[in-house]
Amino acid sequence: MKDTYDIMFCGVGGQGLMLLSAILGKAAVDSGLEVMTGEQHGLSQRHGSIYVHFRVGKPISPLIPYGKADLVIAMEATEALRYVEYLRDDGVVIMSKRIMPPPSETGAVALDKEKKRKYVTVDQIVERLNAVTHKIVALDSLELATKAGNPLTENSVLVGAACACPDFPIPTEAVRKALLSLVPRKTVEANSAAFDLGRQAGGTCLG
Amino acid sequence: MTVEDVTRTDSGRALMLANEAVVRAALEADVKVVACYPGSPTSEILDTFSEVLPHFGDYRMQIAANEKVALETVAGASMAGLRSLTSMKSVGMNVASDALFSIAYTGVNAGCVCIVADDPHAHSSQSEQDGRHFAEPSYTPMIEPSTAQESYEMTKWAFEISSKYKTIVMIRTTTRVNHQRGLVKLGDLKRTPFKKNKWSEVKGQYFTVGAIARELKAKLLKKIDDIRPEFEQSKFNILEEGQGRIGVITGGVSYLHSKEAMRNLGVSLPTLKIGTVYPLPEKKIAAFLKRLDTVIVVEELTPYLELRVTAIAKDANPKIRIIGKRSGDFSEMLEYNVPIVEKALAKFLKKPLSLDYDAVTKRADQLKSILLERNPIFCPGCPHRGTLWAIRQALSRLRIRDKIVYNNDIGCYSMAMLAPNNFSDSMLSMGSSVGLSAGMEMALDDKVIAMVGDSTLYHAALPGIVNLIHHNANVTLFVLDNSITAMTGQQYNPNSPLDAGEQPARKIIMEKMFEALGSDSITVIDPYHTRDCVKPIMDALQAKGFSVVISRRECALYGDHLRRESEVPIVRSVNDKTTCRSIYNCVKEFYCPAITVDESDSKMRIQTDLCDGCLECRQVCPTSAPAHVDGTTEGPAHMSSGTPG
Repeated sequence: MKDTYDIMFCGVGGQGLMLLSAILGKAAVDSGLEVMTGEQHGLSQRHGSIYVHFRVGKPISPLIPYGKADLVIAMEATEALRYVEYLRDDGVVIMSKRIMPPPSETGAVALDKEKKRKYVTVDQIVERLNAVTHKIVALDSLELATKAGNPLTENSVLVGAACACPDFPIPTEAVRKALLSLVPRKTVEANSAAFDLGRQAGGTCLG
Repeated sequence: MTVEDVTRTDSGRALMLANEAVVRAALEADVKVVACYPGSPTSEILDTFSEVLPHFGDYRMQIAANEKVALETVAGASMAGLRSLTSMKSVGMNVASDALFSIAYTGVNAGCVCIVADDPHAHSSQSEQDGRHFAEPSYTPMIEPSTAQESYEMTKWAFEISSKYKTIVMIRTTTRVNHQRGLVKLGDLKRTPFKKNKWSEVKGQYFTVGAIARELKAKLLKKIDDIRPEFEQSKFNILEEGQGRIGVITGGVSYLHSKEAMRNLGVSLPTLKIGTVYPLPEKKIAAFLKRLDTVIVVEELTPYLELRVTAIAKDANPKIRIIGKRSGDFSEMLEYNVPIVEKALAKFLKKPLSLDYDAVTKRADQLKSILLERNPIFCPGCPHRGTLWAIRQALSRLRIRDKIVYNNDIGCYSMAMLAPNNFSDSMLSMGSSVGLSAGMEMALDDKVIAMVGDSTLYHAALPGIVNLIHHNANVTLFVLDNSITAMTGQQYNPNSPLDAGEQPARKIIMEKMFEALGSDSITVIDPYHTRDCVKPIMDALQAKGFSVVISRRECALYGDHLRRESEVPIVRSVNDKTTCRSIYNCVKEFYCPAITVDESDSKMRIQTDLCDGCLECRQVCPTSAPAHVDGTTEGPAHMSSGTPG
C-alpha cells in the first residue's frame, strides 16, 4: 500500500518551477498534509534542466525513488521524458506541449545539409512515454493561458490539470486558494481562469 | 511566503527550506552578526538573512569578500561578545580553514556557528569534498542534521554549545539537506535590540603562537573531553530499536534514504543515527556494536563513520562484520538515494527489492535516447556570450587560436569550457587562473590568458594578480564584470554599491585599483558592442607584460531585475528573414537558447518570450538580420548603477 503521493516537477530553468512547488506545498500544508521536497537550486539558473521532488503523505527521503512517481508535471515536453525513470507504470504525466530546444539540437538541425534532421516533437515524446503510461495530458498551456487572459499563467493551467487527477491528494479548493494567494494581485482573475481551464482539460484527458 | 515564516513572531508549523530553517533558528537564538560569501548549496542562508535584515534591523550583516573573511568576521564579533553565524559551501571552508584552526585554539566568546555544506555528486561544485574531516584535525565540534526540522533544532543547539564551551561549532550539511523543504515546528521569536559592547567588558586573549599555542592546545584537548559526554548523551544521536542482529549506522540524508529503504523492504533494523559527527558518541556506538553480528554503515563520500566504527569495533566487538565502502558494497562517489541503499540492504537481508530499479532506469535510458543533453548555458542576454565571441575573433585574427593557454575560473563563465568556446585548459578553484598563469608564463612559449569574474576577482584572485603585476608577467587577464555574483543568485560583492539588505556600500572601482597596482594596459569594453570589442582585445593580447581587459555589462538576470524595478521595458528581438541568409553564425558561434531554426524555411527564429533583447546576435550576424521588434537596432542601456565609464 502506498502512503505517499509523489510528484516530479520538471522543466527548464526560468519557467517558474519553484513557484509551482511553493503553491502545491502551501496548499498541502493548509490541508493538514505532510510535505517534503527535494529541490534543485544552484548552477542552472536559466535554461538548464531542473526538477523538484515533491512528496505528500508519509515521505521519509527527500528524493522520490525511481519508478515511483505518481505524477510528472512537466512545464516543457522534452523534460517529461528526461525524468521518465521516476515515473511509475501507469502514472500520470501532465505536460505542456511547449518545446524549448537546447542549442546543441538547434545546431544539429540547422547544420544538417540534407535538412533531414528535425526537432524532437511532442508526438515522439508521447509515443516514448507510452511505454510507461497512457495517462498523458499534453496541454497547449500557452494557448489556454492566453485564453484565460494572460500568457504568463501557464503554470496555473498545469496545476489545474493536476487537480483533475482522480487520486490527487490535495483538495482542489485548497490549491486554488494557495495559487491565488501567491500570484501577483493584478493577475488573480486570469490565474483563476487558467486554473479552471487546466482542470477542465485535465479532466477531459483523464476521463 | 517562507520569508513570512522566518519573520513571524509566534510558534507554529511552517513549510521551510532547511536553509531557511537555519535562519529562523539563528534569529530565535538572537544572532547579532552574520557574514557570508554565497555558494551553492548554502546561498539561500545568505539570501534569507539579507532579505529579512530590513524587517528586523537588530542584527548586522555583511556579504564578505570570501569565506575566510566571513569566518574571521563572525569570530571577531563573537570575541567582542555578540552571537554570530556564517555559512559556506564545502570548498569555501578550504579558504576559511586557515583561520579555523587558530580560532579553535583561541576559542571564542559569544555563540559562534559555522554551516559547512558539502555537495556529493558535485552538482554545483568542482569536487565532491567531505567537510567532516575539518572537525577532528581542528578540534572543532561538528553536528549534522538530516531534515529541515533538525537543521532548525541543531542550529539553536549549536549556539548553546558554542556559548557554553566558548568554541566555534560547525554544522555539516549536504545539498540534499540544504535544499530539502519540510515542515518545521517553530519556537517563539524574541529578539533583543542591537547593542555594541565595550572591549574592556568582554575582552579575552585571542592569540596563539609557540609556547602559548602549546598551552592552548592542552586546554583545547580538555575542552573537547568536556564536550564528549554531552555529545554522547545528545538527543541527536538516535538509537532506533529493531529486529535482528544486522544493524545500521548512518547520519545526514543517508539516514532518510536508509529508513525509506527499510520501509520498502518491510524490515526494521536496529539503527543508530549519528548527529554528533565530532566528537562521536563512541560509547553509544560501542554498545550498539556489541549487540550485532553485522553493521551496515550508510554514509555518502568518504568512509568517515566507517573507519571510526571499525576502530571502535576492535575493542567492542572484534568479530562484527562491517559492511560499507571498504567491503565494496557502497561507493565513495556520488550521492545516494533510496534505490542505492535498498539494493545494498536487500542483498544482506536476502529480501526482494520493492521494485526492479535497474530495469526501470535501463528502460528509461532507452526511451530517452532521442533527447540531447540540456546542459546549463549562458542565459539569453548574457554578456559573457559576447565577450567570449569577441575573444575568439581576436585570437583568430591574430592567428594565435592554437598558441594560447586559457586558464578559466569559478563562475557562470566557467561554462566557457563548453562549445562553442572550448576555452578551458584549466579551472581549479576561486582565483586559481591567475596563480596557474604565473607558472605557465614561465614554462610556456604560448600566450597565457586568465579569466575571472568580478566576485572571484575580489574573493581570491587579488593576491595572484599582485603577484603577476609585481613580476611583470606576460599575461592577459579578462575580468568579466557583470556587476554581481551571478551564478549563486545575484548577490552583491565588493564591486557593488550595495551590501546585504540593500544597505549602501563602497563600490571598489576596479580600473583604479589596477592602475594603483601599476598595471599599464587597462582596457574597458562593452560586450553588447560585440564587434567593437575585437580590436581592443587584440591590442591587449599583444601588449607586453601584464594587461587587463575589463568586459563590463551587468548580468542579464540582474539587468532584468533592475529593469523591472525601474519599469524600463525589455524590447525583444526578431530575425528579419528577408535579410537572413542562413549563414548560421548565430547558431554555430553563439548558442543562445532563444535562437531556434524554423524548419519550414531553415531560417533562424528567435523565441521572442525567451529573448532578452541584447542584440548580441545582431552583432555576430554578417548580415545584421536580427533587430528589436520595434525596429530599433541599438542594444539596451546599462542598468547597473555606480558603474563609471
